[in-house]
Amino acid sequence: MKLYLKFDSNVGLKKIMQEQLEKLQIKHEYLGFAEIEIEDTISSAQLGQLSSSLSNYGMEIIENQKSILVQKIKDTIIEMVYSEEKLPVSNSAYISDRLKQRYDYISAVFSEVTYTSIENFILLQKTERAKQLIITNELTFSEIAYMLNYSSAAHFSSQFKSVTGITPTAFQRIINARRKNSKV
Amino acid sequence: MRPIHVLLADDDEDDRLFFTEAFEEIKIDTIIRTVNDGVELMNHLNQENIQIPNILFLDLNMPRKTGIDCLLEIKQLPHLQDMAIVIYSTSSSEKDIEDTFVQGANVYIKKPSDFNSLKKILEDVITINWQYQTSGLNRDNFMLSL
Amino acid sequence: MQLIKPGTLFKSPFFLRGVFVLSLLMLLYISSVSYKHNQALTESSELLVHSYKIQLQLEHILSLLKEAEIAQRGYITTSDSVLLRPYKIAPGQIYDSFLRLKSLTIDNHEQQYNLDTLLQFINYRFKLMALTLQSSEAIPFNETEFGINLLQGEHLMEDIQAQINKIDRRELLYLKSHQQTYEKEALFSPVSTFLFMIFSLLIVILSFLKINKDLHVLKKSNEQLLIINESIKHAEVIGEFYISQWNQATNELVFSDNLYRLLGVEPQSFPPTIGNYLKFVHPDDKHIVAKSEESIFKDEKNDPGFYRIIRKDGEVRYIMSVGKFIHDENNRIHIGIGKDITEQHLSNVALEERNHELEQSIKELESFNRVASHDLQEPLRKIQTFISRISEKDKGLISESGKAYLSKIETSANRMRILIDDLLLFSRTNKAEKVFAKTDLNLLLENAIQELAQNIEEKNADIHSDPLPEINVIPFQIHQLFVNLIGNALKYCKPGIPPEIKIECTKLTSDQYPAFIKDKGKKYYKITVSDKGMGFEQQYAENIFLLFTRLHQKLDYPGSGIGLSICKKIAENHNGFINAEGNPGMGATFSVFLPA
Repeated sequence: MKLYLKFDSNVGLKKIMQEQLEKLQIKHEYLGFAEIEIEDTISSAQLGQLSSSLSNYGMEIIENQKSILVQKIKDTIIEMVYSEEKLPVSNSAYISDRLKQRYDYISAVFSEVTYTSIENFILLQKTERAKQLIITNELTFSEIAYMLNYSSAAHFSSQFKSVTGITPTAFQRIINARRKNSKV
Repeated sequence: MRPIHVLLADDDEDDRLFFTEAFEEIKIDTIIRTVNDGVELMNHLNQENIQIPNILFLDLNMPRKTGIDCLLEIKQLPHLQDMAIVIYSTSSSEKDIEDTFVQGANVYIKKPSDFNSLKKILEDVITINWQYQTSGLNRDNFMLSL
Repeated sequence: MQLIKPGTLFKSPFFLRGVFVLSLLMLLYISSVSYKHNQALTESSELLVHSYKIQLQLEHILSLLKEAEIAQRGYITTSDSVLLRPYKIAPGQIYDSFLRLKSLTIDNHEQQYNLDTLLQFINYRFKLMALTLQSSEAIPFNETEFGINLLQGEHLMEDIQAQINKIDRRELLYLKSHQQTYEKEALFSPVSTFLFMIFSLLIVILSFLKINKDLHVLKKSNEQLLIINESIKHAEVIGEFYISQWNQATNELVFSDNLYRLLGVEPQSFPPTIGNYLKFVHPDDKHIVAKSEESIFKDEKNDPGFYRIIRKDGEVRYIMSVGKFIHDENNRIHIGIGKDITEQHLSNVALEERNHELEQSIKELESFNRVASHDLQEPLRKIQTFISRISEKDKGLISESGKAYLSKIETSANRMRILIDDLLLFSRTNKAEKVFAKTDLNLLLENAIQELAQNIEEKNADIHSDPLPEINVIPFQIHQLFVNLIGNALKYCKPGIPPEIKIECTKLTSDQYPAFIKDKGKKYYKITVSDKGMGFEQQYAENIFLLFTRLHQKLDYPGSGIGLSICKKIAENHNGFINAEGNPGMGATFSVFLPA
């Protein structure tokens, strides 16, 4: 049988970090947003150990300032896109607000590190969420369009297609075909 | 961005040339490797201790073993599940495209007929794939048709 | 030629029997009446004879008596004993007559009594005569005694005469009364006989008329039957089939003449049996015929049979046979028809082969088309890509003329690409599985507009559409149709003026159908794509749908000339139509008719 999961990554992350830090007996405080305050200084050996054990979980310790900012931006965007409420009217204002930085600065740093723009990333995330919603098969395209702040199902459809190159309908078809194949 | 490992399987010499030249002109840090057909491809991928490519560009029409056969095989191998598979083909039939997605491909590229378009497309693919690799997006849902 | 209903003729036997019985009864009645009449006559005459006999006897007795008297008188007068002879024999003869009389009147008591009385008188007379004789011969002749005897004798004769008269009268009376009875009957019989005769005559005449009519009808129906029979025979010959009849009850099998002719032999040249027929059946097909016959025998339903026969002259023919049981109240007959379908069969086979060949041809052509287009794309793509590489890399190194040539190569290559793409599309329109689905045309239109989004934006085009219906179509084909038509409208706009494209839809009623829609029964939607662009001359309105036909120079308006042919193919795939109206300098309208 199939199970569909929805996860709160924050809870998972927090748990893993706590486990790892406790294993190495590093006193810490979890600040949320993948930020940890470590009480003492730790040796580079410990840092290396922590790094390697965290990497098993796909987690990296970001050392670069810019990378840290970019991670924050990404987290903000993900939070924004996946919230239960409707998306904000102006993405840039929202992000700028949350991170308390000027938008053009944030934008420049993001592009430098990720080789893509914030707008593109937001679009990508929205599309990702749309894909998840489509997979669960519970909402119509109109409902999804509404949730993701598109003016109509047609608008949503055309944006989905412009990002992925295929229509939501085709995407659904492909997912269903894959499911059928794996059943067999 | 660490250098991205790209692997191309294409039996056509000219296409391999276009491909490598395009990547030379893209400003992203990449390491390109090419193989000449499906058998070579699977032999390479099944070696132990090799660096698994981040992205595989797979031509469909290859002698000895077709792209589709390779795709099916790759999808069965657990150590290759993290590799993005880009189908790189001349066919533009909707049905063919959907079929490759159903079989597990992530990206479908119709070989463009002008160099600049090729560069742009390759750049987009690499960039988007990078997002998938770095932002925890679900690889299974990664589908892109260019 | 109306057939006479069997019922009408079949009533005759009852009628005939009725009439026959009636006539018989009439005859019997009449004969019995005549017989009775005859009897009466006979009896009457017998009665007369009877009376006559009695009278005769009485007369005889009287005459005997008188003779005796005369004899006596004579003897008395002449004393000649010879003359006494009659007197002597008279009593005997009288007694004989008397006995006869008695027997003649034996059934009549009265007459018997009268006769007895007469006898008494007669006896007394003879006694008296004897006395008279005695007295005549008495010496001393006593004249007074003699005179008294003679007188007594006369008185007695008078009594006897009276008695005889009485008896006579009595007989007469009887006669008369009997006659009267008979007369009454005699009067009745002729009348009734006459009436019955008339009646019988009537019946006979009526019967005659009816029988005559029936005969006439029979004759006519016979004639009709003959004609029908002849027609059937001719029909068999013309239609190249035969009829066989098998009577289940009598196991009698009849083959029509044409069966023999179809087998190539003289009609009725062999006895009609299954075995003989089978001799003509192709050896490989004998089992088919045998099986068919078996099922008929067993009275099962049998399917049409199809088998070969070999005629006497060796020619192989194909026979299709079919049969059915028909029955009336007495018979159950199996009617079998066999038709020589050699020509049809052979032409069918030829058609099928041709079809098959055509299908193969089409498949090959389609395959060729597809593969060619596909395989042509590869080198073309290379050419285009390499050209673009040269232009990029070595721009500075190439001469002006070199650049110009490269540009021309590029243009040609592009044109070729468009051509190949369109050819591929055209072949796909043909070959693709034609899966119809009820689709909202508005969605298809939107998708099409989206596909052309860039072009629309570039030209700043204004597209306005009526709401479109939801009909049964092949979605990707209608999508292509819209793309082509709107694409054309965008392409052939007035230079410098943003294109205005209108898409309208109406549901047609049959009286609004244009001439080429023959089937008035179906409903159609008319969807028009009209623009205010360059238009075209109406005389080319049909040409533009032909493959590779273009109205403009290739340099001015790139295109392959296949687009509208694809639209026409798509319309045809949907059992619909497409036509165009153009007005140079004003615009063009393309109308697509799709069945609802």
